[in-house]
Order: sequence, then structure tokens, then C-alpha cells
Amino acid sequence: MIRLLSALLGAALLAAPALAQDDYPSRPITMIIPFPPGGVADQTARAIITPLEKELKQPVAIRNTQGAGGAVGMGAAANAKPDGYTILLALSSVSIIPEADKLFGRKPAYTIDQLKPIALLGADPTVLVVRAESPWKTVKELEEAAKKEPGKIAYSSSGIYGTLHMAMAMFTNAAGINMKHVPFNGGGPAVTALLGGHVQALASGPGPVLAHIKAGKLRPLANWGTKRLAVLPDVPTFAELGYKNVEFYIWAGLFAPKDVPAPVMEKLRAAVKKAAAAPEFGSAMEKLGSPVAYLDAPEFEKFWAADAARLAEAVKRVGKVE
Amino acid sequence: MLDVLQNLGDGFAVALSPGVLLYAFIGCLVGTLVGVLPGIGPLAGISLLLPATFGLDATRAVVMLAGIYYGAMYGGSTTSILMRIPGEAASVMTCIDGYAMARKGRAGPALTIAAIGSYIAGTASVVALMLLAPPLAGFALRFGPPEQFALLVLGLLVLAYMSVGSMLKSLAMATLGLLLGTIGIDHMSGYQRYGYGLHELGDGIGVVPLAVGLFGLGEILATAGRAKPPEVIHPRFRDLLPDRREMREAAAPVARGTILGFLVGIIPGSAHIIATFVSYAVEKKLSKKPEEFGKGAIAGVAGPESANNAATSGAFVPMLALGIPSGPVTAVLIAAMMVHGVQPGPLMMTQQPTLFWGFIASMYVGNLMLLILNLPLVGLFVQVLRIPYGYLFPAIVMFCILGVYAASGSIVDVWIMLIMGVLGYVLRKLDFETAPIVLGLILSPLIELAMRQSLSMSNGSYTIFLEKPIAATLLAAALVLLILGLLPLVRGVADWRARLAAADGDAESK
Repeated sequence: MIRLLSALLGAALLAAPALAQDDYPSRPITMIIPFPPGGVADQTARAIITPLEKELKQPVAIRNTQGAGGAVGMGAAANAKPDGYTILLALSSVSIIPEADKLFGRKPAYTIDQLKPIALLGADPTVLVVRAESPWKTVKELEEAAKKEPGKIAYSSSGIYGTLHMAMAMFTNAAGINMKHVPFNGGGPAVTALLGGHVQALASGPGPVLAHIKAGKLRPLANWGTKRLAVLPDVPTFAELGYKNVEFYIWAGLFAPKDVPAPVMEKLRAAVKKAAAAPEFGSAMEKLGSPVAYLDAPEFEKFWAADAARLAEAVKRVGKVE
Repeated sequence: MLDVLQNLGDGFAVALSPGVLLYAFIGCLVGTLVGVLPGIGPLAGISLLLPATFGLDATRAVVMLAGIYYGAMYGGSTTSILMRIPGEAASVMTCIDGYAMARKGRAGPALTIAAIGSYIAGTASVVALMLLAPPLAGFALRFGPPEQFALLVLGLLVLAYMSVGSMLKSLAMATLGLLLGTIGIDHMSGYQRYGYGLHELGDGIGVVPLAVGLFGLGEILATAGRAKPPEVIHPRFRDLLPDRREMREAAAPVARGTILGFLVGIIPGSAHIIATFVSYAVEKKLSKKPEEFGKGAIAGVAGPESANNAATSGAFVPMLALGIPSGPVTAVLIAAMMVHGVQPGPLMMTQQPTLFWGFIASMYVGNLMLLILNLPLVGLFVQVLRIPYGYLFPAIVMFCILGVYAASGSIVDVWIMLIMGVLGYVLRKLDFETAPIVLGLILSPLIELAMRQSLSMSNGSYTIFLEKPIAATLLAAALVLLILGLLPLVRGVADWRARLAAADGDAESK
């Protein structure tokens, strides 16, 4: 009897993965968001799951696993069972965290080669903004002022080694200037500090500052992208101004653990491709001020590698802050 | 003024149209539920419902989502009063006297006063929001790191007045809370402090697991540990409503809590909970019977519960007038408005008058709906206390665990909650107050960040705190408070605390 049972059990265990692969997805999929509800990652996720569920014909459940600037959730996804039932929506910070861990000699929560890209959903170049009352009309003027008084001009950021800090670090490194960094607890407070005049400059995604630019409170000087933004056509890119390797995006992409079987990965890629093209996703992202920038896995992989290399360099250049 | 009335009239026409009214009701209902459930707060509630609003027009969506926010402040008091579990972080203070009232069979009045206080504070602060938003918003922007630091120092000193028994014991607890607050990745340098290799401790110890453990679980363990089980309370119908004395004692605290909450709510980056404990301390200081605090003083429920509601309207001031978030919840609300093509800010009032005034009017309507919704529920909720402890306690433990897990999705948080429960039990046995731990935990990272941000703004010079007029004024107030607190010690005069402790000692020795 026992032998029969164990034989049955064994057969079931052997059959289970095979079955799961054949008709993936046969049960609900979990999408890990490594940030609290309400942020960019969370909103992008909630906008994509509706069309994605239609493609996969299975519910997609969002799990906000927050902590340590996203390290907890990203680590959970990287170490999840590679069956395609756990996927991750991460932001640019996914490449920064392992680098910062390395810098401090910490045991990393994950390494970036544990994750396999599915698709890029959105990528907004950051924009350099100063207060409208400030004397600086161009990047050059800001740079000269910073050279005259090193460490005097302060900029806010979303947090140390955070995306907004790294963007600014790329600029100050390339320009060879020294500006004072005042980290805040998130991007919202960083914008508020600039509006209140407590700091003088900020690198921010276009969404949170666009209205303040239009209201004449803030002045944009440059953007970190390869081309000008449609919403800010008069603002040059750093590349146009002659800065090398000053390129940064706040992007959102989907990932799976690296050992997900190829057929499952194919299905996920195809489903995400269709979902990203759905008009409901497009209009939701448009209104959030961050238009869809879809890239399929191979192109996204290249984009990610270049981005990660620039960020690793920036983290090293910033080094430990004493 | 006539303009305002005219506009408000148009707003009411929008708010009272059946479609908008329905969504305001749904928002208030969801908010109440989110507030009642420990762990899940308004932030999670709004984020979860945001995608459901994509198909609605902007006014309905905003009215519903805002309803969740202020509705949560009504619901938060329920579990605090009945089970000593803060349903929402801003309801921690209500646990102390609200639960003490429930133990004395006055759960009904506590719940009723909480609802009425919330209603008055909600309505009065919307009036203030409507009339004063633009000038106040400019003032709020002047609160940078140095000003926040000064405000938090003032808040920290208020902690000393929180104590019920020994001031030394409550200061020790506040210090413990401040120390616990240093756990996590340092915001200024990126170093991990006291992490012990646990990535989950990177953001420090959460308020939800700490408060639910110390208050909820600690209370259950303490009750279960008694030789004689406490009597099951059978509230009678006439005990549901506050009596005349309770109404009278609650009136002034509601008024003061409203003003205080509104002012604290305006300041970007401040937590609503600060308004509640400052209100508690103020009421205790002004009360003729401070010894009743901690043992079921109605003012200890009325003040903080009004303050947390007024703080939500205060938080709308920078959002509506400038388009800047004052905290995570308003950040999500701004995003929600942007999804619907509305940009909050100075131009909203002229570009989207229907939405703006409809929103304001819906808050008057919503607060009234919440009062009507919550008062009959008092009778229902109080029935929970009739459940024998053998069934009630395991259910509460389950709610504690579920709530904490739902809030963060982290099993480490559940362990923190369980450990804090044991700590809460031990501290109760030793007669330590646990509220200062929670407050210390919340204040510690804020105060440290504000101070170090200020110092990095000034290149390490402490004079920045004296150069800024708002910061200097607040610090001067803190100094006065400190001197007042120390005077009895210097003069050797026993204040009421010492007298009370002595009286307790006599009673025990007999």
C-alpha cells in the first residue's frame, strides 16, 4: 500500500512540472513589486496587469514586497522558483543595489545575473531642474557657479545611491564639479525641498516636475536622454551639450528568475508584447506622464547592460560617503 | 466671501448629484473598513482601488479616493477602543484611554465621541481648507529640514508629558523607541545599522508590527496571564451614548485637537500621528484631573481622534494649492488626479472649478455620511465585547498576524510583531507605558534625517537652526517647555505625578 502510494506520489511529482510547462499558465501568476503601493512601479504594474490577464487568461496578482529600497522584493523574485509563476517589475535601481552592497562589503540580496529580462515597459530620462528665480539659465552657468564655489550649491535626491542621486552624480562627474548632496526620503519630498528653496537643483523624472515647470516655478536646464522630450522640446540633452556618458533613465521593466524554461519565457514575452501595445495601457501611462517605451527581451537586455555599466561606474565614483 | 459661497453652492450641486454621492459613499465605506482592519491603512486602500477608477470621470474618482483617506480616520479608532489594537498608525494614542474606557464598560461612549469628534474636526478643517488654503500652503513650503528638526524636537519634549506614572519610566521607554528607530539603512551614508544580515531590516522596524505587537498582542498575553479571567462586558443600550459629563469634558479637546491636527497636517513630511500625541499631551497638561489619563479619560480619546481627522484636511492644503504631496497618501491622490487628466495646483481652482468645488463640497457630505454610517455601527461593534475570551482572543491574534502580513507581505514583520508582543507583556507586568516606544520609533528616523540634512545644508554649522526664524521660534518654545518640566525637580516640589505614585504605593502596601 505504502509502495503504491509512494509510486503514485512520485509519478505525480514527475508529471507536475511537465504538465505545468505544457499548458503554462495553468494557475494565477504573482507579480512582485519591490516597492510600497502607490509609486511609479506599483502604478505601472496595475496598469499592465489588466491587458496582461487577458493575454495569459489567468489572474495576475500583485504582491508589494517592500523593504531596503527594493532589495527585499528583488531578492525574493531572483530566488523564486523559476517556473514562470513569479515575475518581477523593477525600476532602474535593480542595477544599483548590488553595486552598493559590493561597496559596503554586504552580502547581496541578489546579483543582476540572477534575473532575466522579459520586456522594458517605460523609460523616462531625468530632467535637471532649478528654481525659476535662480540666476542659472543654462547648464554651463550652473557649472561655472559650482566651479566658483565648490560644495556650495545643494541638490536634493530621493535617497543616497538612489536613482536621482546617481543621475546627478553622472553629471557632476562629467563636469568635474562638486555639488552638495542632501538626500530625502523619496522623490516627492525631494521636489518639495526644491520648491521651498531649501536646495537649489534636482534631477527628477519629468512627471513630478512638469506641472511646476509649466506654472513657472521651476526651470528645466537639460535632460539625461538621447533625444529631447516631446513635452519639453526646448530643453537640450546632455549629449547635445557635449557631456559624455551622462545618460540616465528612470525605467520600469519586467523580469523573471534566470532559470525559467525557454517555452514559458516565450509565452511571457509574447503576452507582455501584446499587453504593452494595448490602448488601455498606453493611455494610462500617458496620463501618468510616462509614455510607454516598449523593448522586447533582446533589445532590453542590451539597453540594461549599458545602463548597468554606467550606474556601476557612477556608484564607484561616488564611493562611500563619510 | 460671496464668491466662495457661490462656488460652494455649485460644488454642492455636483457633490449631491446621485452619481457622485454614490462614489463618495463607496469611498467612505471602504475607508472605514480599511481603518478598522489593523495593518491595512489608507495608502494601501487607495492604491488598490486606483485602477478601478480608470473608467470613471475625474470628479467621481477623486471624491471616492479622498473618501477612503478621511474615512480611514473614522475606522481607525474602533479596534483601538475595543481591543487595544491600533487599526491605523494614527490611532495609537486612542488605544490608551479608549481601551481603558472599554474595560470600564464605556466602550459605546468612547466610540461615539470618537465619531462625533472626527465629524466636527473633519467639517471644521474643510472650512479652514476652503478659506485659507493659498496663504497656508506658502507657509508650509517654508518648512525645510531645519524647521522640521525644530518641530520634531518640540514633539520629542512633549513625550515627557505622556507618562501616566513615573516620568523616568516613560523617558526610558521613549529612549528605547528612539534606539529601535536607528535600525536600518542610514539615509545619509547608505550604511546598514543593526541589520544582522537581514535585508528585511533595511527599512528599519515598521510601525505597524511594533504597535500591533506591543498593544494588541501584549494586552492579550497580559489578560490571559491573570489568575482570574476578566468579566465579559455586557454593554446595555443606555451605555452606548456618552452622558452629559462626558460630552462636556470632550468639547474643548475636540476643538483643540482640530486646530492642532490641521496645522500639523499642513506641514509636508510630518506624520499624522505626531498631531495625535501632541494633542494627548496638551489635553493632559490642561486637564483638571490629569491622573485620570491612562485610566479612561474621555479627553484622551476626543483630542487625538479629532486631531487625526483634521490632519487629513490639512494634508490637502499643499496638495490642492501647490500640487505638492505632504505625504505618501497625498502623493497617490495626486497621481490619481493626473491619471484623470487633472493637475492639482494653483491653476486647478480656475481650470477645473467643477472638480475643485465638487471635491470640497463632497468632503462636507462625506463627513456627514461617515457620522451617520459610524454611529449605528457603535452598537454593533460593542457586541464584540460579549464574545467569551476563549473565542475572542484567538481571533484577535489571527487578525494581528493577518493584518501585519497584509501590510508588508513580509514574514519578518510577523516575527517582529510576535517578539514585540512578548516585550509588551513583560513591560506591562513591570508597569511600563508602551506608547512612548511607538512614538520614539516614529520620531527617531525623522529627527535624525532632518538634523543631518540641515547640517549638510549648512556645511556642519549648527547656527542654521537659529538663523531660520521658524526654526528658532520652535526651538525657543521647546526650551520653555523643558524649563517648565524641570522646575518642579529643581524646587523639590512634588507634582501630581509623584503624589499619584505615592498614593498608589500606599494602596499597595495596605
